[in-house]
Amino acid sequence: MTPPERQTAASGRDDPRVRWFPVAAVALAAAIALLAGPPLVVFALIEVMVFALFATALNLVLSYSGMVSFGHAVYFGIAVYGMALTITRLGWPLWAGMLAGPVTSAVFALVFGAFCVQLTAIYAAMLTLACSEVTFAVIFQWFELTRGETGISGFVPPMLGLAPGVYGLIVLAVVSASILALWRIVYSPLGLTIRAVGQNPARAAALGHSRRTVQLIAFVISGFFSGVAGTLFGAFHGNVFPDYLGTLITVNGLVMVLLGGLYNFAAGIYGAVLFKILDNLLAHYFQYWQVAIGVILMGVILVSPRGIGGAIQWLARRLPGAQR
Amino acid sequence: MTAAAVLTVSALSKSFGRFMALERVDLSVRPGEVRAIIGPNGAGKSTLMNILSGQLAPDAGSIVFAGQRLHGRPPHQLARRKVGRAFQISSTFRRMTVYENMLAAHNAAGGAWFSLRSSRLKRMRASVMADLEEIGLARLAGQIVEDVSHGDRKRLEFGMVLAGRPRLLLLDEPTAGMGLQERHALIDLVLRQVRERGITLLFVEHDIDVVFRAADYITVMALGKVFAEGLPEQIAANAQVQEIYLGRR
Repeated sequence: MTPPERQTAASGRDDPRVRWFPVAAVALAAAIALLAGPPLVVFALIEVMVFALFATALNLVLSYSGMVSFGHAVYFGIAVYGMALTITRLGWPLWAGMLAGPVTSAVFALVFGAFCVQLTAIYAAMLTLACSEVTFAVIFQWFELTRGETGISGFVPPMLGLAPGVYGLIVLAVVSASILALWRIVYSPLGLTIRAVGQNPARAAALGHSRRTVQLIAFVISGFFSGVAGTLFGAFHGNVFPDYLGTLITVNGLVMVLLGGLYNFAAGIYGAVLFKILDNLLAHYFQYWQVAIGVILMGVILVSPRGIGGAIQWLARRLPGAQR
Repeated sequence: MTAAAVLTVSALSKSFGRFMALERVDLSVRPGEVRAIIGPNGAGKSTLMNILSGQLAPDAGSIVFAGQRLHGRPPHQLARRKVGRAFQISSTFRRMTVYENMLAAHNAAGGAWFSLRSSRLKRMRASVMADLEEIGLARLAGQIVEDVSHGDRKRLEFGMVLAGRPRLLLLDEPTAGMGLQERHALIDLVLRQVRERGITLLFVEHDIDVVFRAADYITVMALGKVFAEGLPEQIAANAQVQEIYLGRR
């Protein structure tokens, strides 16, 4: 009898097995591009990788835990402030500051998440937005600590003072390890519980799971990995501004996940790649490039409601030799 | 009967605004008993099941099962106290496969749901497949639940509830929306499992054939109150019950 995991793959749904060959091939191609590509390509690749991690972390909340976060940029941006302030105010060494970033995000996710999981559906989503706006306002106005709109610069040299390709390789390693960790979480007993709660909270409760506890755990994990992405982004630019916590970053993350396809683990990666390509290309040639992105997003959702990931799975099932 | 009761419901009341859905309902259920709750629409059967399973909090009254207070506890705490529940509309994880659904139930029952070791899930494979075999769904293990029939979803939900090794099982219209053959097959499965495992079963059912086939004891509800109780033959012979529920012959 075919093992159940393989049958799941044949059904074309999210597949718990890693296909190591394409993953290794993509990572190798990225490494080569980082070492041999022109600076503009390297910079673009670094941004793609950082946002792929951010969107994958956001996807844990959206696709699996059954929550909608309209304020996830908080956990991206607050990590950079955590890093910047521990280095500049507390005199922590670089490595400790970079660890402090994601930990700061996880603490904020724990505090805000504890409030948000008290509610469900749109009410919880609006509370995530409220938490985000409050944090943004505090960061913006607490000039003595955060230097407000001016932001904080120089807490680390851009790209940690390394050559772009070398910094890119560090980002590639950290992002790969983080996405692999998220993958392991999603397909672990904890991940199965998160997916169960996300799909049917009533049934999950009848099996003995507290929705609030499980969603809070997912929210904190997501916040932590959003913080890893934010830390890499802050170290890339060597500065931080309130905009790092702004609504635009959240919206971009949501668009990436939708482009990539909800309920697909790789949605964040697919979405970040397409979004950043469009972002870079369209901005050069088209004044109203954001309108074009909106139109493309509508097109993808209408043609393939499960996004790029769904389209890839649809094609894969029709390849010669594919399991039906 | 009260002395040996494992489930005691005392003076349970619940109202929604000015509508009294339950009014001082008392029940005593013996260990291993199969108890049917019947009554016309609006009798308060589903409200009673929702309170027993923690979906609703009662306004007054108490529920004690095996010496433990159940009233006012949320559903997940009741599940941990071995109270299993199947819903009127089958409640499963529809984007998961049949196998993953049963795996999720075993994962919850195993007590290490927070583990990050995927090997724990692999170790459950044999017992998950054995349970799917038991409920006749092993052949559908790799199917996404939203693609399987309504009857198979009901079976799956029942199997998932059993995986938690409940001591008290609450089934709200277990055969609703099923064909005659499927209905009898499911109720036979339920009765076999319940008898083998010594589970106390409370079920709400509209199908009188199913009720008389399965129940050891029947409680008839009407207008939020317990109207009559008795053995199936006593209920069948009760003229008032026939009048309000079965229809006068």
